[in-house]
Amino acid sequence: MTGPATQAKEPVSAALAGPYGHPFHPILVTVPIGACVASLVFDVASQFVHTPGFLSQGSVWLIAIGVVGALGAAMIGFLDLMGIPTGTRAFRVGLIHMTLNLLVTAAYVGNFFWRQADYGQPVGVAVGPLVLSVVSLAALGVSGYLGGKLAYRYGVRVAAESTQAEGYRPVTSGQGA
Amino acid sequence: MIMVVVALIAWLVTALGGFYLLATWIAKGGARAPRTSKFPPALIFGHFAVAAVGLVLWIIYVVARAQALAWVSFVLLAVVAVLGFTMLFRWIPTYRESRVAVPAGGSASSAAVPAERHFPIVAVGGHGLLAVVTVVTVLLAALGV
Repeated sequence: MTGPATQAKEPVSAALAGPYGHPFHPILVTVPIGACVASLVFDVASQFVHTPGFLSQGSVWLIAIGVVGALGAAMIGFLDLMGIPTGTRAFRVGLIHMTLNLLVTAAYVGNFFWRQADYGQPVGVAVGPLVLSVVSLAALGVSGYLGGKLAYRYGVRVAAESTQAEGYRPVTSGQGA
Repeated sequence: MIMVVVALIAWLVTALGGFYLLATWIAKGGARAPRTSKFPPALIFGHFAVAAVGLVLWIIYVVARAQALAWVSFVLLAVVAVLGFTMLFRWIPTYRESRVAVPAGGSASSAAVPAERHFPIVAVGGHGLLAVVTVVTVLLAALGV
């Protein structure tokens, strides 16, 4: 009844981490991922437009939104990680997922300060910060893959199959089932 | 500016200790039924949530330097401190019981042991001490010292 896999499916705090079958972490990560992707799009676009200043500046804001969003998603992610029994393969994947994300977030914090010198200048994003963004986003992709593995392969915070079966019962219509 | 950064570092290190304590509490079954912990989940998770929001606001303050953010962080920190002290006072008797029970060879079933009895005193003390440093440095930074 309370095997290791079952334990990882339960929220440690329904109010913070989301109720059973509705984890909050997956929706929270859309903010940092979206902001980081958009930031890189701005970086690349700033290399081609005639007045790149607004894109360079916007990209810095997107990094800030990404970092703050990442911290929020991390807080709830920590709770889901704490719900996985230690010493298991799922917990180890969770630890790698966490470590990668923290490193990526730290890289974006560094990137944010790196860009301060050019902030407000009518120039495109410099090569250094742009390359750091590319590397960071690639690492974020790897980490996201591991996050997907935790959810879709190991079923962390995913409802048990017996619960899932509810969704596949034929809908009873007026004519009777 | 120095005080702002010192407060940030103190807050981050305090948070690490808090994560360790929370992870221990959850791993030892604090959140699972039947609950044996003297910490209601709303208390420990409320402490975590308010502290996390405050820390994120403080990080934004370090960069944006809007004075209102500093004071909001401080008020949140005060709430966190009250919740933290509540847990400390509930933890002390549990800790004392464990000190008495172990030498006596008491074989209390592990199911009945509150999760927070597994907290090492160094972790609790370190977390509390750094928390005090955080509150003081955040106040000083907010006052512009």
